[in-house]
Amino acid sequence: MIDGAPMLADLAIGAMETIPLQSSEALLPEDLNVSFKLLPAIIVIGMMGLFIVAGFMFQVADTDDMWVAGRSIGNIENGMAIGANWMSAATYLGVAATVAISGVYGLAYVIGWTTGYFILLIFMAAQMRRFGKYTAPDFVGDRFNSDAARALAALTTFLIGFVYALGQARGMGLVGLYILGDWSAITGGALSAYQTMMVIFMVITVAYLSLSGMLGATKNMVLQYVILIVAFLLGLVVTGWSGGFTTVLPQLEYGMMIDTLGSEFSAPFAGGSYYLWVATCFSLVFGTCGLPHVLVRFYTVKNERVARWSCTWGLFFISLLYLSAPAFAAVGTALYGEEVGAVYGDPGMTSAAGDVLVVLAAQLAGLPSWFVGFVAAGGIAAAVATTAGLFIAASSAISHDIYANIINEDATQRQQVLVGRLSIILIGLLTIIFALNPQQPIAALVGFAFSLAAIVLFPMFFLGLWWENTNRPGALSGMTTGIIVWFIPMLNEGNFGLIDGGLAIDVISTWMPAIGSALVGTPIVFAVTIIVSLVTSEPPLETKQMVRQCHSPDPMPRDKTAADIVAEKNRDGNAPADD
Amino acid sequence: MYERILVPTDGSNVAEAAVDQAIDIATKYDAEVHSLFVADTDAIAYGLGTEQVDRIRQGQFQGMTELREDAEAATGYVTDAAEAAGLTGHERHAGGQPHRMIADYAEDNDIDLIVIGSHGRSGVRRALLGSVTERVLRSTTVPVLVVDYDDED
Repeated sequence: MIDGAPMLADLAIGAMETIPLQSSEALLPEDLNVSFKLLPAIIVIGMMGLFIVAGFMFQVADTDDMWVAGRSIGNIENGMAIGANWMSAATYLGVAATVAISGVYGLAYVIGWTTGYFILLIFMAAQMRRFGKYTAPDFVGDRFNSDAARALAALTTFLIGFVYALGQARGMGLVGLYILGDWSAITGGALSAYQTMMVIFMVITVAYLSLSGMLGATKNMVLQYVILIVAFLLGLVVTGWSGGFTTVLPQLEYGMMIDTLGSEFSAPFAGGSYYLWVATCFSLVFGTCGLPHVLVRFYTVKNERVARWSCTWGLFFISLLYLSAPAFAAVGTALYGEEVGAVYGDPGMTSAAGDVLVVLAAQLAGLPSWFVGFVAAGGIAAAVATTAGLFIAASSAISHDIYANIINEDATQRQQVLVGRLSIILIGLLTIIFALNPQQPIAALVGFAFSLAAIVLFPMFFLGLWWENTNRPGALSGMTTGIIVWFIPMLNEGNFGLIDGGLAIDVISTWMPAIGSALVGTPIVFAVTIIVSLVTSEPPLETKQMVRQCHSPDPMPRDKTAADIVAEKNRDGNAPADD
Repeated sequence: MYERILVPTDGSNVAEAAVDQAIDIATKYDAEVHSLFVADTDAIAYGLGTEQVDRIRQGQFQGMTELREDAEAATGYVTDAAEAAGLTGHERHAGGQPHRMIADYAEDNDIDLIVIGSHGRSGVRRALLGSVTERVLRSTTVPVLVVDYDDED
């Protein structure tokens, strides 16, 4: 059935940066049992079906009268929804993969992605809620009074969604191989087994989005979170136990295994330099604070207190997974070493095998296929749900921020739906094309999106909320600089095959790796924005008052935005009234 | 004959084209003028994200200032016109699928006539964008007066 075995020899670990665009050297995780499995297939379909059914059930039909206040969402529920939004293939598969392959370097992900929430909590969650806008480009456009700034932010949002989705597509394709097997025959050999699976699951994701109204329901997100975390934790405990490595608390017990795993796993900075570690961590911390699909949860809560507590709970629910991922990596690495061969060196574990390590470990531990399928289904569900969220954020950037606010201000609701659907198809196609030959592991692909968010959007949010003198020219020059700065290392390393092999300039690849380009890029954007703001005229008084209102000690009524309050104060205090 | 007239509106020129006709008929029968704004949850899902749809479903409409302003402006236009003619106006803001919400409102409030604007689209544009008016016709038994909007001028 499977004629892919000879390909494996072609895939050395170092080859992952230089895979040419040929399907003969396709991604195939070695020793993963690639075949059609009925029970796991049913579990995947059942899991996704359950999310749709739950969406229908929790949907309170329609709202006859929007002024009748309903039940509000509590902190814990909202925290779980944040967790579900957040848990993607990168979290579920990518973190364990990076720790397994690159050892201590992988911890930059665990630390970066949790620390980001602290910054969010301290500097942004409540203030964003007070500003009271719907989308990230909305905030940028209104804070800097500029449609050009709004368009740049919308473009960045679209780009982030696209780059982020590449990692998810890779995850879906690889895990899909375990569940559904090799279907490349139906394409007549035009696509490899991985490519076929990736296309199938991307099409499912886009179809899933036609039910989008149901997916965002908070109750549904809570259910998703619970299923995903159970699949991951149960997978870890059972795999560790049956492999004889750990018992009930693998998160603590894996420390005992470290001596046996090889120095590549445990020696600090063996898998990446100290500088690379810091740069990656920096990008991930500040990228978290600039990600549109994460921030959106904070605009929608009742008030700023709920925003803060939801952020705290979100951090807790996310860390449940992150504390376990390194343990999963340790167990997986040990099993791979016992059953397959040396993890490090030549040939070593490929990045494809690393990316499915969570599934591969359960399989190597000899667990029944329905259980492995359950763990795999969790990975696919995480990828599909996050991709759906990213695509919605990208479509909203196009249909709401660019189309309805800039191109056609009289756009009807139906026109916005049409533009939204078209942009989802566009981003879906782009993702499929660029994910055919992803040259990097999941965690790295997602890391690029975080660099972009940290370089372009985070400085706008941070300065916009905390420094009232940030003005339009400052924001425009800052964002333009940011987008250019982000592209430099991407082109230099030849990611996405934009330039074959890349420019390969040594200084840039050493000091500004694409995955951690924010360490250099974010300070540059801050400096450009601040200097340009200082030498140009100050923003209008209302804008400054809005920024001050975001930090006012008085609690804000829930039905007002900072702009409303400023307008009221100006009316009461100094006549003449402006309406 | 007509005691309660419903004018569904999204605040567009097309919807407002129907207002004059509605007020004229209402004046003749001394009818109440109801105006209904429906936030299309499909459009919100694609335009603002699914979280905002969830927010509407939770009845957190007060916090959504821009949508609220649109809704108030849309129905306010109809009420102002009704009050200028010495009639009583009622306003309602709802969220869901527009045609269903319009039909439901008409039934729940004993509406005798729906006056609604239409683009009069045909061909490809109709196929792509659809017509709320057409769907309203098919989902209600209340008489409907369709006022075509001519955007040539």
